[in-house]
Amino acid sequence: MLKFIIKRLGASLGILLAASFLLYVLVINSGDPLQDLRESTADNREHLMAQRVEYMNLDQPWYARYWDWLTGVGKCFGGACDLGTNIQGQNVNDLLAVAASSTLRLVILATVLAAIFGIAIGVLTAVRQYSGLDYGVTFLTFLFFSLPVFWAAVMLKEYMAIGYNDWIKEPDISMVQIIVIALLFGFLMQVFLAGDLKRRIITFAVSAAFVGVAIPYLLWLNFFRYPQLGLVGIIILSLAVALSGTAMTVGVRNKAVLYPALITVGLGIIAYYATFSLLESPSTWLLIIGGALSMIIPGAIGYFMGGRVRKIAMWVSAFTGLVAAGLTTVDHIFRAWPEFLALKPRPIGTIGSQTPNFDGGFWEIFLDRGAQLLLPTLLLAIISLASYSRYTRTSMLEVGQQDYIRTARSKGLSERTVVFRHAFRNALIPIATIAAFDFAGLIGGAVITETVFGWKGMGEMFKTGLEHIDPAPVMAFFLVTGTAAVLFNMLADIFYALLDPRIRV
Amino acid sequence: MSTQTHEPATTGTALSFENLSVTFQTEFSDVKAVKGLSLEVFPGEVVALVGESGSGKSVTSTAAMGLLPSNASITGKAFVGGINVVNLPEAKMRKMRATDIAMVFQEPMTALNPVLTIERQLTESLELHGLAYGKEATARAVELLEMVGIPEPRKRIKQYPHQFSGGQRQRIVIAMAISCDPKVIIADEPTTALDVTVQAEILDLLRELKDKLNTGILLITHNMGVVADLADRVAVMFRGSLVETGTVDQVLNRPQHPYTQKLLAAVPRLEAVDISGDWQPEPIAPVNPNRTLVLEAKNLVLEYDMRGSKFRAVDDVSFELARGEILGIVGESGSGKSTIAKAVLGLLPVASGVLAVQGQNLTQLRPKAARAVRAKIGVIFQDPAASLNPRFPIGDCITEPMVVHKVGNRAARIKRATELLEAVHLPASVINRYPHELSGGQRQRVCIARALTLDPELLIADEPTSALDVSVQAAVLEMIQELQERYEFACLFVSHDLAVVDLLAHSVVVMKDGHAVEQGRVSDVLHAPQHDYTRRLLAAAPVPEPGEQAVRREARRILLANDNPDS
Amino acid sequence: MSEHQNNDELRGSSNMQSEMGPDGHPVVSLAEVEDAELAKNESQSRSQGQLIRRRFLNHKPAIISSVVLVFITVMAFSSIGFAGIPGWWDKDYSKAGELINGGAPTLSLLPTWLGGSGLAFGESPFGQDNTGKDYFALVMRGTQKSIIIAVIVGMVATFIGAIIGAVAGYFRGWVDEVLMRITDLFIVIPLLVLAAVLAQMVGNKSGSIFALAFVLGLLTWTGLARLVRGEILSLREREYVAAAQAMGSKTSRVIFKHLLPNTVGVIVVNATFAIAGAILLETSLSYLGFGVQPPETSLGLLISQYQNAFTNRPWLFWWPGMIIVAIALSVNFLGDGLRDAFDPRQTRKAKRRKTKELS
Repeated sequence: MLKFIIKRLGASLGILLAASFLLYVLVINSGDPLQDLRESTADNREHLMAQRVEYMNLDQPWYARYWDWLTGVGKCFGGACDLGTNIQGQNVNDLLAVAASSTLRLVILATVLAAIFGIAIGVLTAVRQYSGLDYGVTFLTFLFFSLPVFWAAVMLKEYMAIGYNDWIKEPDISMVQIIVIALLFGFLMQVFLAGDLKRRIITFAVSAAFVGVAIPYLLWLNFFRYPQLGLVGIIILSLAVALSGTAMTVGVRNKAVLYPALITVGLGIIAYYATFSLLESPSTWLLIIGGALSMIIPGAIGYFMGGRVRKIAMWVSAFTGLVAAGLTTVDHIFRAWPEFLALKPRPIGTIGSQTPNFDGGFWEIFLDRGAQLLLPTLLLAIISLASYSRYTRTSMLEVGQQDYIRTARSKGLSERTVVFRHAFRNALIPIATIAAFDFAGLIGGAVITETVFGWKGMGEMFKTGLEHIDPAPVMAFFLVTGTAAVLFNMLADIFYALLDPRIRV
Repeated sequence: MSTQTHEPATTGTALSFENLSVTFQTEFSDVKAVKGLSLEVFPGEVVALVGESGSGKSVTSTAAMGLLPSNASITGKAFVGGINVVNLPEAKMRKMRATDIAMVFQEPMTALNPVLTIERQLTESLELHGLAYGKEATARAVELLEMVGIPEPRKRIKQYPHQFSGGQRQRIVIAMAISCDPKVIIADEPTTALDVTVQAEILDLLRELKDKLNTGILLITHNMGVVADLADRVAVMFRGSLVETGTVDQVLNRPQHPYTQKLLAAVPRLEAVDISGDWQPEPIAPVNPNRTLVLEAKNLVLEYDMRGSKFRAVDDVSFELARGEILGIVGESGSGKSTIAKAVLGLLPVASGVLAVQGQNLTQLRPKAARAVRAKIGVIFQDPAASLNPRFPIGDCITEPMVVHKVGNRAARIKRATELLEAVHLPASVINRYPHELSGGQRQRVCIARALTLDPELLIADEPTSALDVSVQAAVLEMIQELQERYEFACLFVSHDLAVVDLLAHSVVVMKDGHAVEQGRVSDVLHAPQHDYTRRLLAAAPVPEPGEQAVRREARRILLANDNPDS
Repeated sequence: MSEHQNNDELRGSSNMQSEMGPDGHPVVSLAEVEDAELAKNESQSRSQGQLIRRRFLNHKPAIISSVVLVFITVMAFSSIGFAGIPGWWDKDYSKAGELINGGAPTLSLLPTWLGGSGLAFGESPFGQDNTGKDYFALVMRGTQKSIIIAVIVGMVATFIGAIIGAVAGYFRGWVDEVLMRITDLFIVIPLLVLAAVLAQMVGNKSGSIFALAFVLGLLTWTGLARLVRGEILSLREREYVAAAQAMGSKTSRVIFKHLLPNTVGVIVVNATFAIAGAILLETSLSYLGFGVQPPETSLGLLISQYQNAFTNRPWLFWWPGMIIVAIALSVNFLGDGLRDAFDPRQTRKAKRRKTKELS
């Protein structure tokens, strides 16, 4: 296993080196960096040219320049990278520091979201092959495949961001809109939950009625400007999770699972008060530790009380704990929302990765970053989600025809167990390899998205660098994205080995 | 052996069908797979459902499990322990699986989930049906593994399927099937994918379990030897209908229906195998000095490249094959028998030793000369579905060797194709048809025709009949024999089936793990084996006569007991 | 194996003719039954190609997509003419004109009884740009160029991908290693990045869309190569390939007669996906400014040129984008239909008798 990873890592580093060489040579040969100055009529033309030659070491042969760059990168292992200077003589290290974080945040978030939702949708459509849902999702995935990213980005910016910003000023939904939303929601719910005609009608009626009542109520509360969850909301929702989790696994009569889950809900209430002031202005680490604890403690409770269904008890409790913790966090975010709106009246950003000169508490900054990140992430995630869902669907259908699935059915396992325990893990194996390619595609997509949304990120660095035949920023872009891709690829490999015991043992 | 007559009642049966019919809706038409079948299986009884492909035997069993695909429509009744499972709601059917009716599948290599441990796969049905949980379930699973004869079950239960051999995997599948004490087990070709010695072990296991657990077993098979070995009663299916039912003795020894009679007549039999060792060999005839050697191997070594390291598949094998003779190579999977065929065909380089066709050593030939040698060798492979290029019409398939070696013009080629089709008893009209329009047996006959296109000196037949049905196999074997007598080519016949080799070949090489353990005339080697392995191999091959098979089974037990005195 | 058996199972009793042989005796052997059926079978022999065509024609989305695609292509090439042949559209894409109604589109699809002005093309159906150029003519020209680029990219990529994939799959060894390493290269350098660099190089050197298309084709073959390689790896283990080798066929014959024709499904399907991908890649590059350079044009370049006009003249943005989506979507659906036609395994769709319970 370790040998396998080290081998792959070594190969990846080799590829990275070869790719850097290729890219460097191609970039410096893609045009003439002095073009604009040659055509310039400025008086100090000669001086400018000499200066640029010095910045870019143009007096040296290409291999020397590449070697320079490579040794500069080599210094990274000593902790002091030297990525050279760009066409204007700026230090690329400094440029990179600003650019890398926002781009990586975008790409990683989009990958995670796309993978989770794409795989979930893929499984769902495979299970419901040839249903209305399947056809609908198939059409949508093909549509997403066919969308030019920048075109969709402009649409999103124009219609979603600006539309929402205008609306949030005075949130109002007309009666007609409410009815349309309710009917649409009811329709979608019955498509998702499926079942026979009677069940579909009931699902439709209940969910449409719920939305029809909930929206006016929320409007009356002015929820969209002053959202609130409150302890009551948290208790109700966590209880629902605890009960449905128990019901879906072993049934509510099984006390060995039910009790730890209920205790977890109780602990959640205590934790809500205990952490209240702490969470008013937390830190990222605090949130991570809190999130981990919210699973570990209930997990432990489940372990000790679970008896012979120990594993299930652990999972149900841990999940309940996570949901309760998540809801507590959401409650704090809700509390910060009015303040945030006051600071930033048009919340959804369309330009830049953060609002310049924005000042506020932890949650306000969190909301600002989130709001700026929202559209680009959504866009990248949707496009990449399409391929994940497609691959998952194909893979699930392929696995569904395997003999061991028939064996599993012949044991009397329910369709859900067959799908999740037997089919799903096997179906994930080929997806792990595809994820690496998808990640590279996402980075390409990020270049475009950043351009549309005016981010000063890696994409920008690449674009301007290439326009000016300026290798240093382009190579810096490559260094970060290439390394990220290699790391991601390695993660995919590890995941692959974890999934497939034939590689592991 | 149960000889009592049963009343056609559903009470007391483990499994019974009443007028069961199954129809599939396919892409272009409806297909009736089972047409009004009635059959009972009682507890503690093994009923064999035999038939060739297309007879509907597997469809019948799958219907009882409620696992038919959604394009199947089922009418009639199928009772499992008194409950009609035809069109039973899925939720109720699920509760009955494993506890009332369980199944053992054909392909042990793919029947287990590769990413889950054996423990997980064994305990999940116990936990699901509420029989045992957690540690109890694991303990029960270990017990089950012990019962089906997996050594060190406590340690091995943590392992994954790929860490077990094919035979062991089939044992695990059987353990899974018996885990919830079902009333009836459907064994769908449980030994077809296994080697003959492993098959014998699995059959022993099934017999032992049947007596111990008093479950009914519906054994689906095409192998009459397996039927004779294990079944109490036999039902014969042909084209979706039951043509004959009766005790194993009645059906195998006194078949009434002409189909059954023909089927049994088509089964190749090992004649008078002597296991005790006091067989008097025929006097050795002097070697004919005029015989011309077509194929000769001397100290042949063949190796596969396995990621840098060499795997020796054939080690130090020598044999001779003269014009007009058939040499059989027998062995189990992994013995290297097909590797030899591959090397003769030039698909694998010779690592060392001599492999000569008509005196020309293949290793030392230049490419051009090697191509000329190729023209003298015809080949038939195992899988008729994969042996013909699906994009070539039959005519092109047959005349391809002529095209490759630039023989004749178009008219001559068509004439040759027509001739050959006639020789293999196929209508000349198929010349323009595509392989997918033909059945397996017909495709295999096309392969024979292709092999004979250039009047070969040597025919390589690599398991040519093992993917075919019994009656089709008989027709193909007869054809090879007839053509061989007519054209007098030499034939290297690779097979795992001793009976087929016995029927066809003049001499035989028995292979095991790349070595030739025994070789000589068929009449000596297969009837008076000298080597232990040959004896075991012969003892493990079941014969389609229940009385004789019982005797052979006993003899095999004694043979194995003598081999390993401690067990 | 199991699939093959299943086929035989179905074939066994596919027609319900009486089970009597030609001489009136009941047929009691499988071999005889099969032979009798074969002799009786006088129906037109169907090659695989015919079966595939039939399945494809039953695939509604693919047929609709084909119609859309043909419509767009015919419109693009016939309206403004191509290669010196004049088209039926009277306005020139390069001539500025007088702005009518702020340059709003005059195309109307709404019938009069719904309050529209009936099906009418009007003076400038797609509107005009800020200098009064007819946008329909501009978009049609862009569509023409984008289609040309996409088709060339698709063909170049398919050709290279199929050959390299086949060679790597057949010979394995170092050829295969090299292919896999090149594939790995695209994991660390995103396709868009490499394409941008090369496109800029081409743009600076020649500026022709053919050169650009060729270079993009040289970059996008790896996906197909991997798929063909995988297919060949499994096909080369088939016995008919062994038979061909054993009878002394030359390697080139084995690859081009026996292996590649049997991967035609994969190749055709992925050629369509390559074309859809090429359309999007070209538009993205042109948008970033590395693709098609003026005075040449393409749909992506049009969007890029007019993106600042979005608030005032949104149609300048809408039309090219919608045509890109329409082409890419149709090509994708076409590919999907072809895949189902070539490989019906996953689409053996049957009327469901009972819906299986889930949950």
